[in-house]
Amino acid sequence: MKISIQINASPYQHQAADTAWHFIQAAIARGHEVYRVFFYHDGIYNAARDARPPGDERDIVSRWSSLHSDKGVDLVVCVSSAQRRGLLETSVAKKVGGYENALADGFRIAGLGLLMEAVIDSDRHIIFGE
Amino acid sequence: MKTLFFIVDKPLHGDVKAQEFLDTVLMAAAFDQRVILLFEGKGVFALLENQQPELMGLKNVSPILSALTIYDINDVWVEEEALKSLGIEKNQFVIPAKAVARDEIKRHMSLADHVFSF
Repeated sequence: MKISIQINASPYQHQAADTAWHFIQAAIARGHEVYRVFFYHDGIYNAARDARPPGDERDIVSRWSSLHSDKGVDLVVCVSSAQRRGLLETSVAKKVGGYENALADGFRIAGLGLLMEAVIDSDRHIIFGE
Repeated sequence: MKTLFFIVDKPLHGDVKAQEFLDTVLMAAAFDQRVILLFEGKGVFALLENQQPELMGLKNVSPILSALTIYDINDVWVEEEALKSLGIEKNQFVIPAKAVARDEIKRHMSLADHVFSF
């Protein structure tokens, strides 16, 4: 089955990012295709490169990066949600004089069109976090 | 074409989520999907006219509701039971909405391809 995922909540303060990550692991293990993970609302903070959790805690951001590098899962951060909250794409940051390295490896920034494309093309679209 | 069922169950102002949620609704219509937009529970407050979020320094999102018809979103529904329990009349709304009972809502929700809330 083709599954797309949407994450609406920031990491650590909510369980959504953890539950979604475990769900994705299980889905891939069962042979399902995870078409895309779309980060929306405060979910964009899952892509903050400079997150540095204590060494004895799970690293949610780099866990997502690994999901992309190991399994090729498409990680898309909503551009308007991200810009509103201070997470800029390199080219935009250059233009406005912002921090150019905000986005962690494996994430890309794009518009809501990619969310809708994922919804239309997937058998299931599952939203984590409110 | 898929049927996408969107549920607003929170007021329009206070945080940015309703505004961002409505962006998704408009995007679905722009992709020529069939959109049903339901206001239920406290989300019914979102339809009220004369909102003045500017007093709190917030952007007024109400005009987005008026843009729904431009995007051919004509299935704007409001939960009948919520109208009654909140004592709100449909003529207080900024846009026309069809009052639909819970049973009917449930039926259409089960027929939709995807259900969105926030």
